[in-house]
Amino acid sequence: MGIAERKIEDANLLKAVAALTPDKIQQVVRSVTKGEAGARLAVYHETCMRCGMCAEACHFSLSHKGDPTYTPVGKMEQTMWRLLRTDGRVTPDEIYNMAQIAFTECNMCKRCVHFCPVGIDTGYIISLVRRICHLLGVVPMYILDTAHSHSATMNQMWVKEDEWIDSLMWQEDEARDEFPKLRIPLDKEGSDVLYSVIAPEPKFRTQLIYQAAAIMNQAGIDWTMPAGPGWDNSDMCMMTGNLEMMGRLKRAHYEMAQRLRVKRIVMGECGHAFRSVYDTGNRWLGFKDWPVPIVHSVEFFWELLTTGKIKIPQKFQKPVTIHDPCNITRGYGLMEKLREVVHMLCENVVEMTPNREHTICCCAGGGVINCGPPFKGTRVAGNKVKADVLAATGVEYVIAPCHNCHGGLEDIISHYKLGMHTKFIGDLIFELMEKPGAE
Amino acid sequence: MKKLNSTVCKVLVCAALVATGGLCLGLPPAFSSQEDITHVRSEALKPHTRPAALFRHDEHNEKAGIDDCATCHHGKDKDGKRDMADMTAGTDCVECHAVSPVKGQTALRRAFHLQCMGCHQERKQGPLHCTGCHTNG
Amino acid sequence: MQTFYTIAVGPLAWFAWAVFLVGSAWRIFSMASLAKNKEMAAVAYFDTAYGMRSIARWMTPFATLGWQKNPVLTFATFAFHISFILLALFAQGHAILWEYAFGMRVWALPPQVASALTIIATLSCAYFLVRRLSNSTVRFVSTPGDWLALGLATLPFITALLVRQSVGDPLLMTLLHVLSGEAVLVAIPFTRLSHALFVPFTRAYMGSEFGAVRHCPDW
Repeated sequence: MGIAERKIEDANLLKAVAALTPDKIQQVVRSVTKGEAGARLAVYHETCMRCGMCAEACHFSLSHKGDPTYTPVGKMEQTMWRLLRTDGRVTPDEIYNMAQIAFTECNMCKRCVHFCPVGIDTGYIISLVRRICHLLGVVPMYILDTAHSHSATMNQMWVKEDEWIDSLMWQEDEARDEFPKLRIPLDKEGSDVLYSVIAPEPKFRTQLIYQAAAIMNQAGIDWTMPAGPGWDNSDMCMMTGNLEMMGRLKRAHYEMAQRLRVKRIVMGECGHAFRSVYDTGNRWLGFKDWPVPIVHSVEFFWELLTTGKIKIPQKFQKPVTIHDPCNITRGYGLMEKLREVVHMLCENVVEMTPNREHTICCCAGGGVINCGPPFKGTRVAGNKVKADVLAATGVEYVIAPCHNCHGGLEDIISHYKLGMHTKFIGDLIFELMEKPGAE
Repeated sequence: MKKLNSTVCKVLVCAALVATGGLCLGLPPAFSSQEDITHVRSEALKPHTRPAALFRHDEHNEKAGIDDCATCHHGKDKDGKRDMADMTAGTDCVECHAVSPVKGQTALRRAFHLQCMGCHQERKQGPLHCTGCHTNG
Repeated sequence: MQTFYTIAVGPLAWFAWAVFLVGSAWRIFSMASLAKNKEMAAVAYFDTAYGMRSIARWMTPFATLGWQKNPVLTFATFAFHISFILLALFAQGHAILWEYAFGMRVWALPPQVASALTIIATLSCAYFLVRRLSNSTVRFVSTPGDWLALGLATLPFITALLVRQSVGDPLLMTLLHVLSGEAVLVAIPFTRLSHALFVPFTRAYMGSEFGAVRHCPDW
């Protein structure tokens, strides 16, 4: 039992801890616990009554029944509470363990909030642990690489500027075969909608851009996509604790939108990017709210469907279930709109239990899937409970409006042989909508 | 010192002497005489939530060396202040110390507690804790 | 012992109340200024209405997911805290002390009710103890501070029971009861018992974030 017995080798974690000394660790820990952090850390540390009620909350502890080291409070105990007790006097090896817990065994989904009478924010505590790890350079290799990409290119996937524009033009080209009048307008000033995506879309899931363009085109939206830096709304730096870069990324994003004088930013079906733009990046920059209104695609699709800009002649007939991504339900309250959208698209919706704001995490978000192949087993074993929830619905299709959720759910679906498929709402709309402009 | 002691013990004796007072006033006597008094007279505070305070009048006063009735049975001066020279044995305590007092009065229950515990504290003798007096024994 | 008792209900009581009140005010004030200095990005979202909504919800037994999924603990937690507050404020002996010292007339619980609450609180503490030992999660994360807090919170009830049941020397038991109560007062600002001071704020803050920013229930 315990993190030391489930140590997973990660090239950068190994390399980074080898360079640490106890003095360096203590100095960095103090710079966060006594420097950057304030009353929330102090109060949470003091008022966490160690009641263990959160053990019933976390997909990791529900999947590893009886192992306290996977519970939210257990993870805080092994990381931040220990750092505070020792005033940061811990060994490099212990920092390795803490990094593994913070980066790969907590998705910061905040389900435990619904279980804590005191109101302890475990996600926040874990993000502080990650901040310390970041300042020590102890970040798993794969996610560190994405953070480096953000620093070097302002996008997550090392996409060069010409490649980005080229990808958009390629999708426009493809789509014009189907919709001859379709355009993907680049940097069109004064548009009603700026459509922004995460870098994995041009990199791996380019069909999503095709679909979005088709939906925008058929709904007759005055829209544009950004041509320059700031186009990627994703944010792995928020996940690694590189908050300075998180601020730079979000500033670039907002400023790009302001420069284009768009009325609002509509973003694709992503969870973490929404959190970054809506909740964390703005705060880092000192904005209480947002320079440009931020709209998640679930909300946007809801508008298109309720105003009749998109018409669905025939609903999807096979039974589907809805997965609520934490960042837009627990993070933004889209539970109802998500359901309304899905019911407008699908004939037969089977709810999973638990659902809505009590949704169990996909176990990919919070940067965990971005820590890469070494930790895939951690995610899959740590989310058996979600596999059981999915299996209990007995349906073939899971609708999940979030890229990370797709990744996480697909992994457990294949590992536990559930025989299910994941779908974006955009997939369904594209498949089902009336396409008057199509040839 | 003596004056203070007599002050605080006055009301205790008051409780005992109400029997006599009751007789004089033609009220039905609670006790036939003061040596029969075993508890502080607290009928006004009924219903009781604790056993009445154990108080064997003569035994207590002998042990405590109290001869002067006014030690407990004090009166009041024209300003309504406590007057130790004014002996009030025979007057029921509740006549001046109402259970729910008007302004300037000390409530009966508080008056009892102040009288007994005040003196016990002063002399460092006699019980101060609840069950020291409020006992079934 | 008589002298010691006099000190315990006199100067020591004043001391305990002073430490409790001044200590609590200082803790809350210094924590609030720390939050203001460093965490305006969080404080800015503080919202009284959502905060109160969250507090009310979590003060209702079984009204939250956490309470529902931990039914026995929920029962014990509510039983303990309700008993603690009712007894601390309205136990008859306490009412008498307020009246004796300041002439304040405080409503008091009927003695049978007070006795029942004392037993309930003691049994709840016993459950906390058993759970802390037997539940693997709780055992894993328990620190000396948690044991201290539990012990401190339990002692006044045990001693009150002993006084009521006339076990041992009554004066000694009453003295221990007074001392344990004073120990709780002194400990509130400086031990895990400080959750009594801070939970309204952590709860209201979480309620604010979930209500005003996340548009989502925090229960």
